[in-house]
Amino acid sequence: MEEYRIIVENISKKFVRDYSSQETFLSKTLSFLFGKSHRVEFNALNDVSLRLPKGKILGVIGKNGEGKSTLLRIIAGIFKPDSGEVKINGSMVYLAGFGQGLKQKLTMRENIYLIGSIRGLDKKEIESRFEEIVEFSGLREYIDTKVYQFSAGMMTRLSFSITIFCIAQKNPDILLIDEAIGGGADITFQKKALDKMEGLINRGTSVIFVSHNLFQIEKYCDEAIWLKNGEIFMRGNSKEVVGAYVNAYSNDGNVKGYIEKKMSMKNKAAVKKVY
Amino acid sequence: MILKTMFEKSWHQAGSVFRLSYSIAKANFKIRNEGSYLGVFWYLLNPLALFLIILFVRKAIDMGDVPAYPAYLLVGLIMFNYFRSTTSAAIGDISGNSNYIKSMKISYEPLVFSRIIESVFSHIFEIVLIIVLLIFFNESLIGILFYPFLFFFFVLFVSGVSFFLSTIGTFVSDLSNVWNVFMQFLFFTTPIFYVVNPGDSVYSANLFNPMFYFLSVGRDIIVYRAFPESWMIAAIVLFSCVTFFAGFVIFEKNKHKFAERV
Repeated sequence: MEEYRIIVENISKKFVRDYSSQETFLSKTLSFLFGKSHRVEFNALNDVSLRLPKGKILGVIGKNGEGKSTLLRIIAGIFKPDSGEVKINGSMVYLAGFGQGLKQKLTMRENIYLIGSIRGLDKKEIESRFEEIVEFSGLREYIDTKVYQFSAGMMTRLSFSITIFCIAQKNPDILLIDEAIGGGADITFQKKALDKMEGLINRGTSVIFVSHNLFQIEKYCDEAIWLKNGEIFMRGNSKEVVGAYVNAYSNDGNVKGYIEKKMSMKNKAAVKKVY
Repeated sequence: MILKTMFEKSWHQAGSVFRLSYSIAKANFKIRNEGSYLGVFWYLLNPLALFLIILFVRKAIDMGDVPAYPAYLLVGLIMFNYFRSTTSAAIGDISGNSNYIKSMKISYEPLVFSRIIESVFSHIFEIVLIIVLLIFFNESLIGILFYPFLFFFFVLFVSGVSFFLSTIGTFVSDLSNVWNVFMQFLFFTTPIFYVVNPGDSVYSANLFNPMFYFLSVGRDIIVYRAFPESWMIAAIVLFSCVTFFAGFVIFEKNKHKFAERV
């Protein structure tokens, strides 16, 4: 266990979904009385095992609905696996998307305190980070404005700034990142955000990183796994896995053209930094 | 030594649950009141409107002779309203916070506790309303000093029901409709605006109704400044402790399924 931060052994997860009409009180009572219920079951994860060594970054790729987020949520302890075991060695923060959790009818200042405390910081810790958050978001003049008046990009900036400084304060051993870099904000802020994110990752944090941005996977990850139908379809060096993944889906002419276009963009240094 | 560190650890945990609950409660209170204390008026509108309507129609319907009827009525309305509004809101405490539950690793208890804290805070304003009325009708205020003892058990009871409802609310999507109807039923079967006496069939039925005990003892304390009967006190302690314990256990047993359901 010493050299690993996370050990996941043979986890499986099945979701049972009622039809939406089955979720009401009346239909539940009826199906309880007459024993009739229609349910859909599907395997979200099937016998997945992985190990995350200390200080390494593991990428997870795959199409939508193949189990990436479920895997991360199980590791984070948000979902409970049906079978299998997850061992965690160290403190951990789960990070899923920015722009979540802002209360529209509260001011920026109030939101910083609210999200800070939900993220597990006490009042003193939030106070000590408050200036940095405001400074980093670049939204000082809106500090007492209610958030519903913000543009989408401003919300992303605020949300990112709060989250990133909360993480910096907690200084976790493990980061679980689900599709969290970039988005909504302007190019200057994206660059700033990415640098900040890199700073956090590069100080020895062990990371599992779920993304559809294959270049980020290639750039940051030591290893990568490819999830398909809830199973690990391929694992290995991140470049190889990404390569195989791109090949598999490049039969479709449209996809191929799109990927090639992005690949060529990658070589232009100016754009590369931002991506 | 181990016991001591265990105690310190759970004390620390309880502290952080309370701090988070308090922050969420504060935020929700601000949202509900749009940043001004004028919003408090809206809490009081419902019981106040009912109070005036019932006082008005009382002349048309004979509800028996009740000493200090306005105070009797208002205490009943306010206590029932506290129960109704807190538990109705609790239904959505888990299902309404899906964005937190799915995107962060948080403990779920503060989401429900924060509602309780918020309700205790708004209850203070309702108590002020009772005090104003008592002054208006020249009644003594001494009884209200003892109300916090009852209120402690009342909060325990309401918390138990809230934990239970927030759990069920994640599995049944239209629970609030069902609960609304049940609240109507309870409003008319509990002696809020009328009086029951031993021997009535309504009285016997109400012996199974926890709200009956809370209201009776509340009125004994605040309105009549009398020491409540001991079997009533025993019933309140029993009802509140059992309800709290049962509600909390049901919540804890099911909380690992919440994230998948919301």
